[in-house]
Amino acid sequence: MKWHIIFLISVIVFSTSNIFAQDVLKKQFAFAKNLYASENYYDAITELKRLLFFDTYSQYTFEIYELMGKSYKMGGKFSDAILNFTDAELNAKTIQQIYQAKIEIIRANILRRTTDRALQLLDELANDKRFTSKANEINYWRGWALMFADKWDEAAKSFAKIDSCKQLQNLAEKVHKDKYSEVFSNLISHFIPGAGQIYTGNYFSGFLSLGWNVLWGYVTINSFAANRIFDGLVELNLLWLRFYNGNIQNAQNFAKEKNLIITNKALNYLQFDFYGQKP
Amino acid sequence: MKKTIFLILCYSSILIAQSVDQQKEANLFSPPNIKKFADYLFCSHDYLRAALEYQRYLSTNHNDTVSYKIAIAYSKIGNYSKAAKLFASIDHQSHLFPDAQLEYYKALFQDEDYFGLRNDFINADLSNQFVLSPRAKKLFYFSYLFTNDKLPGENQFLSHFEGTDFQRVKDFYSWKEAPPYKSSLAAGILSAIIPGLGKIYVKKYSDGAFAFLATAALGYLTYSDFKAGHNFRGWVFGGLAAGFYAGNIYGSIAAAQIYNVKIQFDFVNSLKAFLNAKNFFIPEINFCR
Repeated sequence: MKWHIIFLISVIVFSTSNIFAQDVLKKQFAFAKNLYASENYYDAITELKRLLFFDTYSQYTFEIYELMGKSYKMGGKFSDAILNFTDAELNAKTIQQIYQAKIEIIRANILRRTTDRALQLLDELANDKRFTSKANEINYWRGWALMFADKWDEAAKSFAKIDSCKQLQNLAEKVHKDKYSEVFSNLISHFIPGAGQIYTGNYFSGFLSLGWNVLWGYVTINSFAANRIFDGLVELNLLWLRFYNGNIQNAQNFAKEKNLIITNKALNYLQFDFYGQKP
Repeated sequence: MKKTIFLILCYSSILIAQSVDQQKEANLFSPPNIKKFADYLFCSHDYLRAALEYQRYLSTNHNDTVSYKIAIAYSKIGNYSKAAKLFASIDHQSHLFPDAQLEYYKALFQDEDYFGLRNDFINADLSNQFVLSPRAKKLFYFSYLFTNDKLPGENQFLSHFEGTDFQRVKDFYSWKEAPPYKSSLAAGILSAIIPGLGKIYVKKYSDGAFAFLATAALGYLTYSDFKAGHNFRGWVFGGLAAGFYAGNIYGSIAAAQIYNVKIQFDFVNSLKAFLNAKNFFIPEINFCR
């Protein structure tokens, strides 16, 4: 009888103390989540680190690393975010958690503009038999990675594989259509100086370039025609070719600038006016 | 029966006491736990968080080592002025005071407050409150290499350095005493005599050669055009030649100034690299063994 009572007391006391410890960790995690929700990311990371330090039985490890990764991501520290999502993946207990962590790593890579890595990870996911049911989501993030990689036509194709992604598909197609070809701009400037600038809508610069090339071309040819070979060579190298090469570079730069404006406008729309899931 | 009840009571009180201890341990914000967590952050190089946790700990406890570690944490994250203030606040009676004093000078040094460092050093020396360590003296003398103040005498300066440091510091001292600067005036005059020569003087060999060839070619075109009666072209190329000539003189003067800034920059960088490699002549305490 005596031993029964002692055993009972021991069980009660141990279990209450254990429940108390559990409760403390649970409250701490809730506290950290609350800080994250109120956009207090620095403090959220501090409290998550505290929880990680005292969570000796690693009950919250996955959740801690995942939330720390998200906090770092929200603070713009994408590399730190990726490190934490990788730790979350290593501590995942279920296949769903592994998938979740991998997708977070991909999203952070997209934002960090390391899109090659994001695409490589997406390929790995697509080839992993455990995630065959996630094909739509994988294509969705592939589309985003391709948009950030400035491959809008491929992005449109990736979105086209998903039924509910018409909006993003149309956007990617439109951007691809609106963009200027840098190769074409460069090429036509070789044949007609100024044509590349005119193609990108910079008419003044185009005609000015044409004018300079005509002028120095005339002066150079005139010198050669008058048998002033040295004069002709100097004029050719120092004047005509300088303007000719400048015109080609200028045409390509204009195309790049215009494309940047077009893509930035699209990315701006995605950032502020698009209400679907974003990286 | 009474004996049994007594035994049960004793046993339960022991268990309850243990349980209370466990509950205290489970309080993540108890001072010992805050310190444990801060130590963990400090050793994971998360210095700002460590400093904030240590400060939280200090609000209920007094501990010189913790104060010292806060200062170290601020120093590690580059907040040198705050670190200097914190090192200066370490009590003279503390066993960490000699280290704090050195770290204080190091923080002033890193904050580039060389005048503050020297003033403090001189005042401390005059007040005779404590003996300044030879390591602090090294920092004091080294600070002269970073400023334009008159250098102390060579023997006095070098007497504080020994071993492998000696030759290196001697080289720094010699550089500082007579920096190998290039004269802007000389560069300008040389380029006025022979276009491009000023640039060669400041070791811009390809620029110098190009300036010479371009000015010569344009000069020749000017001459040949005037000679052939093409006055308009002569004036155009003459104008270009004059522009190149004047621009080259101006460019040579600017290149000399840039050269001087560059070698000064390289000198300061090599001083900093030397000091960092030597940890500012200060032994580092390892709190994370």
